[in-house]
Amino acid sequence: MDILIKLLLDAFYVLVFPGFLFCFFFGLLLSGIDRKLVARMQRRIGPSILQPFYDFFKLFGKDNIIPRQASKIAFLMAPFLGLVSVVVISLFIPVFGFTFVGNTADIIVILYLITIPALALIIGGSSSSSPFASVGISREMVTMLSYELPLVLIFLAVGKKAGMAMNGNVTFSLAEIAKYQSTVGLMISNWALIPAAIAFLMIIPAEVGVVPFDVAEAETEICEGPLVEYSGIYLALYKLTQSTKMIIMGSLFIALFFGGAGFNNIFLNIPLLLISVILVIMVSVSFVRSIVGRIKVEQTLKFFWTVPTVLSLISIILVYLKF
Amino acid sequence: MLDKLVEKSRIKSPWIYHINTGSCNGCDIELIALLGPRYDVERFGVKLTGTPKHADIVLITGPVTSQTKDRMLRVISQIPDPKVIISLGSCPMSCNVFKGSYSVEGPLDKWVHVDVAVPGCPPKPEAMIDGIIKSLEILKEKRGLK
Repeated sequence: MDILIKLLLDAFYVLVFPGFLFCFFFGLLLSGIDRKLVARMQRRIGPSILQPFYDFFKLFGKDNIIPRQASKIAFLMAPFLGLVSVVVISLFIPVFGFTFVGNTADIIVILYLITIPALALIIGGSSSSSPFASVGISREMVTMLSYELPLVLIFLAVGKKAGMAMNGNVTFSLAEIAKYQSTVGLMISNWALIPAAIAFLMIIPAEVGVVPFDVAEAETEICEGPLVEYSGIYLALYKLTQSTKMIIMGSLFIALFFGGAGFNNIFLNIPLLLISVILVIMVSVSFVRSIVGRIKVEQTLKFFWTVPTVLSLISIILVYLKF
Repeated sequence: MLDKLVEKSRIKSPWIYHINTGSCNGCDIELIALLGPRYDVERFGVKLTGTPKHADIVLITGPVTSQTKDRMLRVISQIPDPKVIISLGSCPMSCNVFKGSYSVEGPLDKWVHVDVAVPGCPPKPEAMIDGIIKSLEILKEKRGLK
């Protein structure tokens, strides 16, 4: 009986709450809010907040065109690979201390899984046999290379700060980070970690692939790069993956730097998480997207290996010096 | 239920793709003005796509020149169904001042089925918005292969 309840609960986690349905509804809603905010910031009326839902369902009704030279299996499976990996990451994100699945070293799992959507884009693009896609995937790889380094450094800084109070080692558990924050205080209130938080806010647009760092999908120069040959349902899945990534990065930021806050009741915590994710995305994605243009791929690499890397290194050094 | 959602969404998210078949760039500039803050067609869900594979509405400008004719037909054949073709400006309708030139093979409706034609040299942005809205009704009726 216990096993049955546990199975049902797991199925609920995977399919409904932090899993697929939640990612679908809130992810698309979040990107709708983002589009509306950008439009209002640029003094336009903008699309309705439900616009990504319309786009998604419209793409369901479109014809699928598969290029004759494409390697069919990789071309069709890559969007599913990306979507499944983001849904799996969403299971690991704690809602202010409450975790759904395992909690010993979830940061390492997240670090591995978070590269898979970008990898799926690379696989799909390279199997579509389009020259635009091959330019796009090379740029996507450089973008990936540039934001991974500061991301790992930020996780190390936060993990060391939380781990030092627990047992002296770096901790790779988001649950432990949340526990530390609920006893000692928020990570963001510690001034040694403010540079890391700023660096994380800079990484979110690159991870999601929006304007200053969207050189891989530049629609005006290389026809949306890896997505050039996709149409119909498979394109819709890529769009869904991209918006789900936005929730994941937003809630990771909340888990790392604001984790201990919130009420004792999970049903109150969930709306709080959603509101704070919207605020994080507003600051780091919408606001930046509406005021800057696209930068070149070598500028992306140069930017990420200087500013966010140095900021997160400062955080690590300060944390190791026990500030 | 899914079919109903798809039907409803189809007219709310038209993504446009723009083909220039030897136009003087006047219509193209006016088309880009639609996406700016003054006219803002994004409020109808319109998005300018970079690739024909993502498009629902094709906007064709220019008299069809011999150099662009085959390429235009190839690009149009890559747009997934259901799709709507709008001819933008006087050039695709009648070849305008280029009529009779050795290098012009227009008008456009000799080669493809045109659903909506927006006249003008260049057409006013209001006329273009009207053309896009009219084409949505045609898009609704077309339904596509499913």
